[in-house]
Amino acid sequence: MQIAFDSVFIGLLEASPLILAAMGFTLIYYLNGFINIAYAESITMGAYAAILFNVVIGMNFYMAIIPAALASGTMSVAVYLLIFKPAMDRGVQPTEMIILSVGVSFMLRHALVLLVGADNRYLVEPEIKYLSFLGQGATNLQLTALVLVALIALALSWMIYRTSLGERMRGLANNPELAAASGINPHRTSVAIWFIAGSAGGLSGVFTGVFSAVTPMMGWNTILIVIMVTIIAGIGSVRGAVLASIAAGVLTAFITLVTKPLYAEAVLLILFIGILSFRKGRMA
Amino acid sequence: MEYFIYSLSLLVIYVGLAQLMHVQFGLLGIPNFGVVGFWGAGMYLTGVFNVSLNMPILLSILAATAIVSLVAWALGRMILDRSGQAILCATLAFSSIIGVLVISEKWLTNGVRGLGTIRYPFASSDFAELGFAIFILSVVIAIFYVSIRLRDSRLGRVLLSIRDNEELAASLGKDTSGTKRLIFALTCGVMAFLGGLSAPLKQFLVPYLLSPTVTFTVWIALVLGGKGHSFGSIVGVVLTVGMFDILIETYLPLPPEYAATIQNLKLFFYGFLLVAVIMFRPAGFLGAGRMGAKPKHATSTTKQEAAS
Amino acid sequence: MRLTATSLSKAYHGHVVVDIPNVSFGTHGLEGLIGPNGAGKSTLMGLLTRRIAPTSGEIALENEAGTHELNALQSHDVARIGLIKTNQRIQGFDGLSIRDNLALSATSSDREGLSSIFDRTRDAEDIEARVAALLEQFSFADPDGSAKSGGEKKLLDILRCLVAQPTMLLMDEPTAGLPDDITQSVMELVRKKVDAGEMSVVIVEHDLPMIWKYCDYVHFLSEGQMLFEGTPDDVRENRVVAEKYMGV
Repeated sequence: MQIAFDSVFIGLLEASPLILAAMGFTLIYYLNGFINIAYAESITMGAYAAILFNVVIGMNFYMAIIPAALASGTMSVAVYLLIFKPAMDRGVQPTEMIILSVGVSFMLRHALVLLVGADNRYLVEPEIKYLSFLGQGATNLQLTALVLVALIALALSWMIYRTSLGERMRGLANNPELAAASGINPHRTSVAIWFIAGSAGGLSGVFTGVFSAVTPMMGWNTILIVIMVTIIAGIGSVRGAVLASIAAGVLTAFITLVTKPLYAEAVLLILFIGILSFRKGRMA
Repeated sequence: MEYFIYSLSLLVIYVGLAQLMHVQFGLLGIPNFGVVGFWGAGMYLTGVFNVSLNMPILLSILAATAIVSLVAWALGRMILDRSGQAILCATLAFSSIIGVLVISEKWLTNGVRGLGTIRYPFASSDFAELGFAIFILSVVIAIFYVSIRLRDSRLGRVLLSIRDNEELAASLGKDTSGTKRLIFALTCGVMAFLGGLSAPLKQFLVPYLLSPTVTFTVWIALVLGGKGHSFGSIVGVVLTVGMFDILIETYLPLPPEYAATIQNLKLFFYGFLLVAVIMFRPAGFLGAGRMGAKPKHATSTTKQEAAS
Repeated sequence: MRLTATSLSKAYHGHVVVDIPNVSFGTHGLEGLIGPNGAGKSTLMGLLTRRIAPTSGEIALENEAGTHELNALQSHDVARIGLIKTNQRIQGFDGLSIRDNLALSATSSDREGLSSIFDRTRDAEDIEARVAALLEQFSFADPDGSAKSGGEKKLLDILRCLVAQPTMLLMDEPTAGLPDDITQSVMELVRKKVDAGEMSVVIVEHDLPMIWKYCDYVHFLSEGQMLFEGTPDDVRENRVVAEKYMGV
């Protein structure tokens, strides 16, 4: 019983970055219908931008989050406009689009390493306090992160389900021609979505990085889990992405508690292959 | 000289891997993004059999090949009837699992401390290294021979029909699922065989060898040379591995502190190449290759016409 | 040769598209299946070849080799017992030449195993001859290249099915997209094969004059139900058919 409770608690704390990444990833997959592996670099970019503002410039960690997210969103839009949009206009097929996105991912990652080196970097956290919460130990940073993620996730859901941008995005994803005919500007909507998705990925990177280290491989190492969570959730279901992320987080925490962290990753990936095998529909 | 033989052997192995991907993706349309998993599993299993169980090296390679083929067959059964996107994700996940297991199963692989030493067959001979390089070359030539024959064969025609329109092929009586599983299991097995051959080359196996860069390099080579062309893999590997790993590393007198920079520059450049080729020349440098075996048929028709 | 369906039904989201207690095809030579738009003709064709899963019902094919339950079969097995369908929508293998398209279809699977990789010649003489004979009868701009126009693709689709020598051929709107003279040659070839007892044929068509001209027997489908069947003359004179279809 104790282990179940611990798993849920730790899982929730650890799922928070995954929730953001999965929400952002699912937006792009829903809108454009291809798996964007280069989304990994949005995650990495967010973390490195936070290093820039937090460590190099010396901003307060919480303040640095904002420009980091904006930088990541900007990169996402740039990549969309320079590479993915032209490729889609040329009629590149979904499978080739994934291969293309792997190329983009390698290009961005190694450009980053060429610029800043491959060494681990560490964000300067605000003062850490250990708090007791429902009999569990957690730091103020963990709890703040969880609250922030919850707020951002709520804002994103509100954006998708309640605003006209969300409505336009859904229209565009379901029937591009009809959407264009009814006066939706596909270009502006897409740019907005890629920006929001990139920012969400960047935030995910910041919250991953602050609890461990910022490395060039951090995005690549999580992208498969992000894809898995998105597919389990159902394409374009942002609420589903949140739930699936939490489930993945709890499962990871549980397996880590009973065995070792590496097995958690292996089990999740085996589960992923199993799900791909049984799941039909858009991915089938 | 020793290092040159090593680099060249590795280049030939990359050509072999890219040629197997030509069969899987170029002819059959299976986007296998887990090349490093099949190759790496073959390499590590060979290492385990050879070092821990003291099995002779060639026997170890064969055992590893057999095991990986079976695993690929099972994996194929699960995912090959799904979309290209799903296959790509699942094979990528498979290679990540292999990467994780190699690190986590220390009792088997010795983890990051490494597994070795794996020696060449006939290691006592003076020409063990060169002999082994020639052996690798003949294996890859055999892969080429079979894949080129395959392309022009009746089975190859079935593969192309599955790639182009699977449902239609099935409606004409072709067992598309069975064919995909068989070819996938066999070609992944040969990837494992090439992995087994890489084990004595590397001598000492560490998890770092199983980086996604291997898959990526093979795919660059495949896309660059032309996925549908029988010789695309050679052109692709020579332009990538040949240029960077052999020419620049061997002949450009760079101070050692630049080694890491060159690696990153290389991968950046690979990424750039991949993007450029998919955007501007999707069929690769050599194009899609010819369509079927025209001349043979043309002559037979003329004969028919002459007869009638 | 008899293709029978019992208690066959197909519903999409509760909306019944096909509901047939009992029907059999294949005993009257060249049969036609007609009906107004949305009658469920294409759905029925899909059901009969197991490309669409039925909501309920059984489909069985009887031939010299015995009776085959189609529900248990995969789509390639359906083709292997001799049941093949031409496509309404244009489809093809873009990477194969026209000649290879036909040879692929003519070759039986047991000759396409791994050992075929090392055979010295690609196609056996009988296959080449069958393909060459068809290509002599129907001309393509470039038989060693791919099918160029929509008409060539449509013709190739039909020839691909014919060269496979099915015992039962379903033709889904064969005349759509084909020039009249080619339709005529195709139908004459089909007629010849049916008369020689090589195969039974079911044609789905909107082109009624063609149905009256070539078919020995006609089934009338409306709103998912088989309402009438008989000789072309019977069907033409039937009051239900006239009301439901020809708007008389």
